[in-house]
Amino acid sequence: MSSEVPTPLAAQLRDVDKAFYGVKANDSVNFDLARGEVHALLGENGAGKSTLCSILAGLYRPDSGEMRMGGEQVLFKSPKDALAAGVGMVYQHFRLVLNLTVAENLALGHPDVGVRLNEKQLHQSAVDLGEKYGLPVDPAARIWQLSVGEQQRVEILKLLYRNAQILILDEPTAVLTPQEGKILFKTMRQMAAEGRSVIFVSHKLDEVKQVSDRVTVLRDGKTVGGVATADAEPRDLARMMVGRDLELPTRGAQVDVGRVRLGVADIRVQGDRGLEAVSGMSFDVHGGEVVGIAGVSGNGQRELAQGLVGLRKLTSGTIEIDGVDVTGTTVFDRIEAGVAYVPQSRLGMGLSPGLTTEENLALKAFRRPPYSKGRRLVASAFRDEGARQIEQYDIRGVRPGLPIRLLSGGNLQKALLAREVELEPKVLILRSPTRGLDVGATEAVRNLVLAERARGVAVLLISEDLDELMALADRLLVIYEGEVVGQMSTEEATAERLGLLMSGQREEAS
Amino acid sequence: MNESVLMLTVVAAIGLGTPLIFATIGEIITERAGILNLGVQGMMLIGAVAGFWATFTTESLAIGVIVAVVAGAAFSAIHAFTSITLRVSQIVSGLALTIFGIGLSSFLGRAGSNPLVGNPSKKVFEPILSGGITEWPIVGPLVFGHDILVYVSWLVAVLASYYLFHTRMGLSLRAVGEDPASAESAGVNVSHVRYIHVMVGGALAGLGGAYFSLALVPTWQDNPIGPAGWIAIALVILASWRPGRAVFAAYLFGAAERIQFTLQTLGEPWSNIPSTLLAMLPFVLAIIAMIVLTSGKRARFLGAPAALAIPYFREQR
Amino acid sequence: MAARRFIVEPRGLASWRLRLLVPVLSVVAALVVCAVFLALTGENPFDVYAQMIDSAFGSARGLAETLISATPLILTGVAAAIAFKMLVWNIGGEGQFIMGAIFAAGFAIWLGDSAPAVIALPVVIIAGGLGGAVWASIAAIPRVYLGTNEIITTLMLNFIALNLMNFLIFGSSSPWRDPEVSTFPQGRPVPEAARLPEFFIRLDVGIFIAIALAVAAWFLIGKTGWGFAVRIVGDSADSARYAGIRVPQKILGIFLLSGAAAGFAGGLFVSGPVGALDPRSLDLGLGFTGIIVAALAGLHLLVVIPVAVLMGALNNAGPALQSIGVPTATVTMLQGAILIFAVAGEFFIANRIRRPEPDKVPELEEVAT
Repeated sequence: MSSEVPTPLAAQLRDVDKAFYGVKANDSVNFDLARGEVHALLGENGAGKSTLCSILAGLYRPDSGEMRMGGEQVLFKSPKDALAAGVGMVYQHFRLVLNLTVAENLALGHPDVGVRLNEKQLHQSAVDLGEKYGLPVDPAARIWQLSVGEQQRVEILKLLYRNAQILILDEPTAVLTPQEGKILFKTMRQMAAEGRSVIFVSHKLDEVKQVSDRVTVLRDGKTVGGVATADAEPRDLARMMVGRDLELPTRGAQVDVGRVRLGVADIRVQGDRGLEAVSGMSFDVHGGEVVGIAGVSGNGQRELAQGLVGLRKLTSGTIEIDGVDVTGTTVFDRIEAGVAYVPQSRLGMGLSPGLTTEENLALKAFRRPPYSKGRRLVASAFRDEGARQIEQYDIRGVRPGLPIRLLSGGNLQKALLAREVELEPKVLILRSPTRGLDVGATEAVRNLVLAERARGVAVLLISEDLDELMALADRLLVIYEGEVVGQMSTEEATAERLGLLMSGQREEAS
Repeated sequence: MNESVLMLTVVAAIGLGTPLIFATIGEIITERAGILNLGVQGMMLIGAVAGFWATFTTESLAIGVIVAVVAGAAFSAIHAFTSITLRVSQIVSGLALTIFGIGLSSFLGRAGSNPLVGNPSKKVFEPILSGGITEWPIVGPLVFGHDILVYVSWLVAVLASYYLFHTRMGLSLRAVGEDPASAESAGVNVSHVRYIHVMVGGALAGLGGAYFSLALVPTWQDNPIGPAGWIAIALVILASWRPGRAVFAAYLFGAAERIQFTLQTLGEPWSNIPSTLLAMLPFVLAIIAMIVLTSGKRARFLGAPAALAIPYFREQR
Repeated sequence: MAARRFIVEPRGLASWRLRLLVPVLSVVAALVVCAVFLALTGENPFDVYAQMIDSAFGSARGLAETLISATPLILTGVAAAIAFKMLVWNIGGEGQFIMGAIFAAGFAIWLGDSAPAVIALPVVIIAGGLGGAVWASIAAIPRVYLGTNEIITTLMLNFIALNLMNFLIFGSSSPWRDPEVSTFPQGRPVPEAARLPEFFIRLDVGIFIAIALAVAAWFLIGKTGWGFAVRIVGDSADSARYAGIRVPQKILGIFLLSGAAAGFAGGLFVSGPVGALDPRSLDLGLGFTGIIVAALAGLHLLVVIPVAVLMGALNNAGPALQSIGVPTATVTMLQGAILIFAVAGEFFIANRIRRPEPDKVPELEEVAT
């Protein structure tokens, strides 16, 4: 650690380990939280920030290491224990009952509420709390009537109502407008001024600079550094986040880069909560090239992919495949037009979990020969095609009649890719294709992508994994809050540049 | 229309509506916990036969009522187990219990060397007050002329309303039916809450059934309750899952059958309205209500508990 | 709760042995439970069960009656199985059956005595299916386009249909009512040409039609492109959407098909053993019994056929029981108990229970790669 930690400590983690299915999400993590401070947790996806917070909030128990609150060792068996000890978390998916009022949500499960509900008192408490922290709420309003920002206020008030001394906020600004964000920061500073501690998980450097006292950076499950915010330079933080020199690409030279096969012009897509997720993106992907879109998850990647594939409507803008305008067409039409899509949800979207591998391999092509003859299915085609593809793409673990969900992650992904590639697409869109895969499967998947590139397919690779992007992409675009904030060829890319762009630091015009 | 005919009709309607109040409020409580119980018809029948048999054997109405309530609760415990612990289809489980209940109640009524069927009850619920106050105009028979279970039904409605909206347990109940995951997060034990309230619902259904066999149709027959259980399921929707409204809905439809007799006595053209069409009415209204109330904004205020009939899986740690 | 003492986890693939064992054990368990009730009321369960088997299979006449009872159950079982497999909770088989009967009888009467069998029979049968589909659409359309939950709507439609039938016969002088009999209202007999011919005592060819329709449904869902799309929707609607399948249309299609199946059952029953729109002979709870058939058959469309025969045997045993002084309600009791155990048994098909190994991270059953 490179700075003096003020005492007394509100919480302390020492050498905490937590592994899931053999993979260490937290590896010898050391974390000091002072009283009365706003402490930012910075890191890429998969760095271990959520796990660390979940341990503090009592959701998980550490495999080893110790946790202290106010100097005393503690072990939380459940979030209830943590809350009783004064630690509470505001999750990205709120735990609010939509059909109940604000006051009812505050009272639910609260240990001090009596058998009879005294509405007047509850309402008054809610109003008082709200005023005190600059989070005004209408206690009689139903949660579904509130905006997302207001709902978040209620979540925070819930914790304050139980007198939480340590509050953990997981990417709170992801769902807020800039104005609401400012109000939130004021509130955070106020809670700190009262002696409470706030842990603020974020990937946005300007916010971290604005509101926090100290910053801890996590990378690959380990704590990399803890500094006072005032002393921290964005470049240093970015370097700590991303950490290493990125590998040089080994993908071989590009075959003739053809014409533009995927043309995206000024598209806008709405998110789930009424905020705009994609705010005017434009880019082209040529045949024979892999364009990578880098960015921390939650910056519009999901909506972008869904908009390109037809699962979500565009509010404006156009999409062209090989020069043909496909804006506004259905998912089916786009599949026919030559768009293949490997989604992030392998089971439950890309693959139907209860169907067999052979059936899943035919998921998009079943209406045509050889799978169908007229309206009838040809069972032998399912068998033969299935066998061929399983062999060719090295999909292991398949048994007759076995639902595909029993296959391991690597084989699921191979099956998904096999199917998409067999469609002989013009455009291949992938989201985080090698996430969670072992080395062998990762290599197999990468080879398939590069094979498509060699065939002249326009490949769009949306990922949070910089290694994956560097290995496969020819060009990189960085997405931040629904916009393209930077473009460069892979040769020009450095960890520092990418890290800065991904955290919202615009580059000076060069 | 003759005023005394109207009065008779209304008073009789209240009597007929009473078992519907019990069954409907019982089902409201169950559904508020997020569990759909389609076994109400079976539970009412079990309560009817159990209550009748207990009173027949002990000549005590009090024991009859207690046995009916316990029988209803025990029967519904089966549904609670399959729905909450085994988490299998609530729809099929409820229907199975109805079929079983129909068979079992008829069986118990006819089995043995001295079957119950055809026998009048040893004791019947009678109005608890007589003379004097019960003869005051209008208010007399309307308010004071009923047997004790009618008054109990009013009490149940008031208590259920208060419980649901003004107590801590009631708040937990509503939260569990809307969003069990969030309720669990806040510290509520979803399983316990569901078990308790399914069984309370079953107990009330049993009580409703007993009212038929011990007050309304006090001679045992195969199905003394008609389609009352199914009507109760419909009434839950028409009452927007609120106990207070359940009382009005129940009286409205308790009147449906009584009105048919009244219409007959009035002659043309009233007596031409077919009873079958009147009998359809609660079901038609329930469908319309379902379609209208569960779409759009109104659904939020008047619609079903959001987690109704969805099995709840506690998060793994 | 249970997690402390042992772990419940989703099962990967249930073997066919298990899937056969659970329904069989359900029947056995139900027999045991009912035996207890029989014994408590002074009957000898073995005598009762023996009587039931004898009446169902012990004579040619009994066998014929069993198959007559099984015919509608094959189709109401198919109706429930198709729908439930897709998580469409169509519990309106009862009402769709009655509507099929009303349509079938109605068209038969409208065609009149002069129409030859070669026209009357197909019309009547198709009318049955049409009636069921139309009735189902009242619940299906709100479900698909407004998201209205179909459990309550289909349930309520059952009673509306029942009352409608009663109205047609008891409450009015409708064309369905027999004009010749004025003392007691009953259904007007359907023209002879519209009756399914009998071939084995009272058994009519309807049984072959029912089996053929069940096989056709099995073929449609298992062997055609449309059926494949429907199965994808039933497995994962998100995957279906991703694959370009139009999900609302598929749900609507299955819902209507389910209704049609129940409607065919009603039509065949009117054209077969009943011969008129007779409420007493039609209000038999065949729609609900179909749900029992489907559950016991594990929602498999071909297995429904033998299970329907079993249920038909049970249904048939009622009158025989009466002759030995046992309430016919025993049959209903048995059927209800079978369904409870069958649905509870689903738990064991979907999950397995084991003791937790200390320090071991629980993993889903995985096949070695």
